[in-house]
Order: sequence, then structure tokens, then C-alpha cells
Amino acid sequence: MNPKPDPRTFSLPPIFSTTRNGMKIYVVPRSELPLVSVHLVLPHGAETDPTGKAGLADLTAEMLTLGTRKRSGPQIASEVDSLGASLSAHAGWDATSIHIQGLKEDLDHLLELLREVILDPAFSEEEFSQLQRRRLAMLAQQKDESQIVAAERFEEILFRETPYDHPVYGTLKSLPLLSREETQDFYQRRFLPEGSFWVFVGDLDAEACFGQVETKFPVVPPRPIHIPSFKPQEVSGVKTILIDRPDLTQSQIRLGHLGIPHAHPDYIPFEVMNYILGGGGFSSRLMQKIRVELGLTYGIRSSLDSRKNLGPFAVATFTPTETTFSCVQEILSVMKSFRLQGASKQEEEEAIHFLRGSYPMRFETLNQIAQRIIQTEVHGIGIEFLEDYPGKIAAVQGADILRCAQEHVDSENLIITIVGRAKAFSHDFERFGPVEVWE
Amino acid sequence: MSQVKFFPEVKEHRLANGLLVLVGEIHTLPMISYQVHFAAGSRYEKPGITGMTHLFEHMMFKGTYRVKPEEFARIIQAHGGTLNAFTTTDNTSYYENLPADKLELAVELEADRLANLQLTSATLEPEREVVRSERKLRSVNSPFGLLIEQLFALAYEQHPYRWPVIGWDHDLKNLTLDDCREYYRTHYAPNNAVVVVIGDVFAEDVFNLVEKHYALISRQPSAHLTITPEKPQRGEKRAIYKKVSQVAAFFAAFHIPGIAHPDLIPLHILCTVLSSGRSSIFFQKFEKPGKAVETQADMGSPPFFYMDPGLLQIYAIASPSFPLEKLEKEIWEEVEALCRGSLPVDTLLKAKKQVRSAFLQNLQTHFFRGLLAGLYQVRAGDHRFLDQILSRYESVTAEEVLRVAQKYLRPENRTVVSLQPVNQAEHEELGAIE
Repeated sequence: MNPKPDPRTFSLPPIFSTTRNGMKIYVVPRSELPLVSVHLVLPHGAETDPTGKAGLADLTAEMLTLGTRKRSGPQIASEVDSLGASLSAHAGWDATSIHIQGLKEDLDHLLELLREVILDPAFSEEEFSQLQRRRLAMLAQQKDESQIVAAERFEEILFRETPYDHPVYGTLKSLPLLSREETQDFYQRRFLPEGSFWVFVGDLDAEACFGQVETKFPVVPPRPIHIPSFKPQEVSGVKTILIDRPDLTQSQIRLGHLGIPHAHPDYIPFEVMNYILGGGGFSSRLMQKIRVELGLTYGIRSSLDSRKNLGPFAVATFTPTETTFSCVQEILSVMKSFRLQGASKQEEEEAIHFLRGSYPMRFETLNQIAQRIIQTEVHGIGIEFLEDYPGKIAAVQGADILRCAQEHVDSENLIITIVGRAKAFSHDFERFGPVEVWE
Repeated sequence: MSQVKFFPEVKEHRLANGLLVLVGEIHTLPMISYQVHFAAGSRYEKPGITGMTHLFEHMMFKGTYRVKPEEFARIIQAHGGTLNAFTTTDNTSYYENLPADKLELAVELEADRLANLQLTSATLEPEREVVRSERKLRSVNSPFGLLIEQLFALAYEQHPYRWPVIGWDHDLKNLTLDDCREYYRTHYAPNNAVVVVIGDVFAEDVFNLVEKHYALISRQPSAHLTITPEKPQRGEKRAIYKKVSQVAAFFAAFHIPGIAHPDLIPLHILCTVLSSGRSSIFFQKFEKPGKAVETQADMGSPPFFYMDPGLLQIYAIASPSFPLEKLEKEIWEEVEALCRGSLPVDTLLKAKKQVRSAFLQNLQTHFFRGLLAGLYQVRAGDHRFLDQILSRYESVTAEEVLRVAQKYLRPENRTVVSLQPVNQAEHEELGAIE
């Protein structure tokens, strides 16, 4: 047998970091495969879309990849493909990421492309109008995707009149209102501000990466972009919105309310609590009741989408038209009894064992490693979160779980969004409170 | 030494009962992927019991004398593992990705359900409804699911690939407990399975544990199965499918050989040239100018090539402003131009690098590495196919790509189903969908 270090213990991969040109840089060398992955992350995203201009941040980001003053859009596409690489730029919530990944042998070329798209984008009129058309066509098609419609409508209602009230990629109404000039202006005002940071992961050397940022990119001005925090209105009572799709034989259901931000002190016990309620697959109460016992669905889960401000906490499932109302009733009853009882000792221990034991698997691929780091930086919770996580999970007690369920889960004040054959069940939902039927 | 430089050497061991065990040692993370692949897929079904293979995959979680229904998942997760299973036309696969020191737990639980599964109507009935809900999700209520079902039903006239893996709803409603028992007895035998373990283990330890837990499970007589091969297609087949939809679309399919045939590699390069990346022909000609929402040439990628002669699909979703007929015509013109012309050296090199890079990206997980070994073993009869994958792609010539394009992308070998959007009233008049 070959001698080797104890293989059974997991330690985080070494993370090297420094600050150059006013930007933080993280580097995680991984040499198993000749691959590299580089992210530049800006500290703002689709929440900075001006009112009525949903999709501007994301459209601006994608425009970067569609041509520079030196290379046309097709030339960039051809070079990226010739390297077997991929290049993308997207706005999310609270962050925008420009990402390139490819083979180690091409690192210099990849970074040169990245430098050019970030610092010298062309914003060509032709590329803009084509992109706008492509997105409108995609959104038209997306109206047939009942899962997407359910998720979008749920957030639209939950976050009404806040910066999170629209899809990051915009809407059929907002996209035609955007102009090339606006994307260029957004870029000039918003790109590479203070707080931008880099994550390099792969078969590479930390010092060399630090040097690349220093020589290829400018010094960012010490001028933070001010993004006001906001608090959406709490939901009171049960509101049901039915999106009528008479051709469907199965309803898509999203129900929930506001959750907690990632930086909230209850974030860790919330994760354990949610594993037991609906995040833990077949170990969760929702899956056991709704799928295993009642056979009402193929899949159900509850999840928190944690953001800088309050993100959504939602249960997502689907069920045949005939069982739509009973399925929702059963979900609410599982939530209610969980708030009353909390978790059993066995559930608590199993949730903790799962979250600790499976933790190494969150560091298997280059992009998983990058996402872990990006998450800590965007939410300002410190890189030590990654090291501390298993210990903090282990420290969660039954009382914390019960308190979290009682403080952060509510079966009486929430929004229910259903895409399906509204006529078949709209009357039933009136028992919960007001029902609106949307086309 | 494996020719795929980045893949560990696969060590193998066969038990007396016929069970094959493949192990790849990688000590980067203290984790393993434990996988059991059965030569059981919808290709082994008959009309009337379509969907049996997949429903049975669900029943494998319904408990044994020792483990209660759905406890399997709870136990694995409580030890830090994740797990699932999937059914295809050619295999049914079960896997647990878990901490390396929990290897024996996975071996023990998998061996237990192979030998001691309890099948009862109390667990079958709710699961039947779960699977019918899954069918609604994947086929009936998905924008193009029923269209793709129709494409396969039309392209294949005799071979079992003509029905969907999830099965027809009518069959799902009528499958019985006896059907389940018969399926279990026939297909779930050690001599019909491959165990694959990839990760932080030593092969000898794995072989010993598998011997300990599986050795007493009896070999079963091989099933006497007749799988009717498909005859060559002798002319284009077309159909129209009407439903409520925001967009028009067409899905086309060309018959191509099965996984072990050498033509698949140049065909995969051909698909890459047509539609991989933003410099591909389809993106530049159809998606970029806004004629199509999406255009793809797709035949799967290693190890997901069909075991028997499969289909290379070319599909396009038209933009609302562009007529479908015109889009389809222009796409066939591009395909014909490619078949007639020459393939520039840089286009070929680009496609090869895209395939190599995508392959290396996939190799990042133990799970994918395990699938490569296990599925090549089940579908091609030998996991060592994967040793040659990268060098085989490297050796493809422009002439080979053109030869396979001309051979397979002929109109006579083509089946096309078009989605024609209708309003709600017409949708209802056409009858119920299920």
C-alpha cells in the first residue's frame, strides 16, 4: 500500500489572498486537472436596475462579451471557442460576475480576452439590437415554462415596489425600453467600482495571478457605489395568486414569505432547520408527507435564497390539477406542526451529520470553490466562514431549530402562487383569504 | 496505464456470482462515489409494460426486511452522503456520493436491496402516482416533451426506443405488483450489474467489502430477450403536433449507430461544429440574428451515447417573428452546404479542443468519472473504451467528419415533427393529453 497522509480528514484547499490596485484577489491552486477558472465580481447586481428598466445590469454585462474596440463579437466568440473556453457575464442579486474558464495552457490568452472585454467593450449598435431581440424571443418562449412563470410571479408579488421585484434578465415590457446608450452609460458609471474582487481557481500560481491583476488592470478609485438597503413589506394573511393556464394538467406551486439575509446570526441554525422541514430531500418532513405518504408530487423542497437584503423563503412543488388544493393544505399543515413541535433529537442529529459530512463535496469543482469564496465576499461574512462552517453547524441545538422555525417560518402569513387550471381550484383557495386570477 | 492521462487506472474484480467491480483510486478529497449500474433500461421492456424499468427504480427505495421504506436515503444522508438513481433506455443506475470512511455502509445497503427488496401494494400505489406526476412534469406539461415522444415513436417502428423511458400513462396506471416482482427477478441479478467505486479508497479494500456483502447473492439465469432491431429508413417521415404554445418549433432525428461504433466520434465532432459555442454555425446563422430562440445538433456525449443505434437530433425553436418553415429550410441548406463542402482545418481543431475541454471539465467530479467507467461497461460491454476516448477524438480527420455527415444526415434518414401552436379551444377539441 502506498504511504499517504490520512485520507479521511478534509481540510479546505489553501486560499491565498492579497489586495492589488484596490481590489481583493483570491487564488486557490488546484493542480489535479489542467483547468483554470477566473471570476471578476462587482459588488452590485440587478437590484441597481433603475425603476422601469429591469434587465439593464444584466444586459450591460452581456454586452461586454459581444465585442471590444479591437475584436468584433464574432471574433471573440471564435477565439473563445478555439480555446475550448467559455466566457460569460451576468448580473445576479447583489453582484455581477464576469467569468472565463478554459485550459491552463491558454491562461495568458484567456486573461487578455478578459482584460479587453472588461476595459474596452465596443457596445456596438448591431450587437445590442440582436441581443435585445434574442432576449425578447427567449422571454416569449419562457411563458410556456410554468416552473419559471411560477417562480417569477412569486418574487414579483413578494418584492413589489422594491429593487428585487423583477427578473434579473428583465421582462417583455422593460427590455424594449432599454437602449444601447443606456447600457454604455451604465457600464461607465458602474463598472469596476471599489469593492470589486477577483477569484482565480485551478492549475495556477498565486503570485503570478496577483501580478497579472496588477499589470493588466487599472487601480480602482476608492469611491464606493452607494446601494441603499431596503426592507420589503411583510406579508400579512394569506394571499393567493393564480396564473391561469387551462392547458396544463399539473399545477406549479410556490408559496412562502421573506427569509433572512446571509449575514443574519440565525443563518446557520436556519440551514439545519430547513434541512428538516423541506431542504433535506427524503429526510425532510415535506418530502415524507407530500410525496412518500400521499403520492401528491414527484418533488418538493423548501429553500432560502439568501441575499444582502431579505431574500425569499419558499416551498416549491407541483401536483396534478385535481390535488392542487389538498396539496397546499397539507404543506401548510406540515409547516404549522413543525413550528409547534420543532425537530426530534434524531432529526437534529441527522441534519447536522449531513451538513458536516457532505461539506467537502461543496469543494469538488473549480466553480464550486469559486462560488464558496464569492458568497462570503458578497455577503461580507468573512472568508473564515468557510473554515468555521462545520463547527458552527455542529453547535446548533434543538432549541435553536425550534426558535428559528417559530421566528422565521410562518404558515399563516404568506403568498401562494400557482400556475395551472385556475377554474378547477380558485374557489377552494378563497378559504385562505383573497384570491386573484391572472391571465 | 490508462491512456486518459487524467483518469485513474481502473482495477477490476469479478465475483463468482458474476458481479463485476471497478475501482478508480483518487485521493484528492476524502469522498467516494459508489455506483451500481444495471443492464436494465426501457430497451428491455415490451408494449403494455412501458415505464416498468423507471417505476421499478423508484421501488428500489421502498425498503427491505431491515430497512424501512424510504429509509435508505435517510441513512445515507445522515452519514453525510447524497444519493439518487436514474433510468435511461439502456441502464438503471444507483449512486451514493459520500465520505470515504462510509464505504461499507453503501456496500451493505446496496447489497441488501439487491437481495431483499420488499415489494408491497402499500408502497406501489402512492409511488405509481409519484411517477405519473413525474411524467406530467417531464413530458405532458413541458413545452416540448410530447413532441419529442412523438419524434421517437415515428423514427422507430420496431425497436423499443420508440416508447419513452417514463412510459405511457395508460401503462403506468396498469402496472402490477407481479410485473414489479418479475422485473426484479429478471434484471436485478449480480451477473447483470457493475459496481463502480471512485475516490479515496484502495481497490483491495473495496473488493473485500463487496465480496463480504454480495458473495452470497445468487446469480440468475440470463433473461431471454428479443430486442427487435430497427430497419434502415428509406425516406423522410414527417408529423405535426398541435398544442398551446408561444412558439413554433421542429425536432428532427437521423438514425446513427450505437455507442461502440467508430462513426460516433466524428459525428460528435460534427454536432460540435454545428452548434457548440457562439462561433458555431447554428448560433451565428440562426440564433445571433434572432431567427431562432435555440438551435441544436445533439447526440449526447460520452458516456451517454445510445447502446443500440440511436438518434442524432437537430432541433430549432423559432423566434416569434420568424416563420418556422423558412427556418427549417435554411437549416437544411446549411447542413447540406457542410456535407458538400470542405471542413476548414481551424474549424476542426476548434471542435476538437471544445470536446477535449468539455471532457476535462466533466472529469472534475468522482461522480462523472464513475459514470464513464460504469456506463461504458454496461452500454459498450467494456469500460476500457474510455482509455481511447481523447486520442480517438484527436485522430478524427476532416474527411471522416464529411463522410459521416454525408452518410447519416441524408433527408431519407430523417424524421421531423413540427410543433404547430393552437389556441385553447382547438387544443381542447383535439382531445385530452396525458
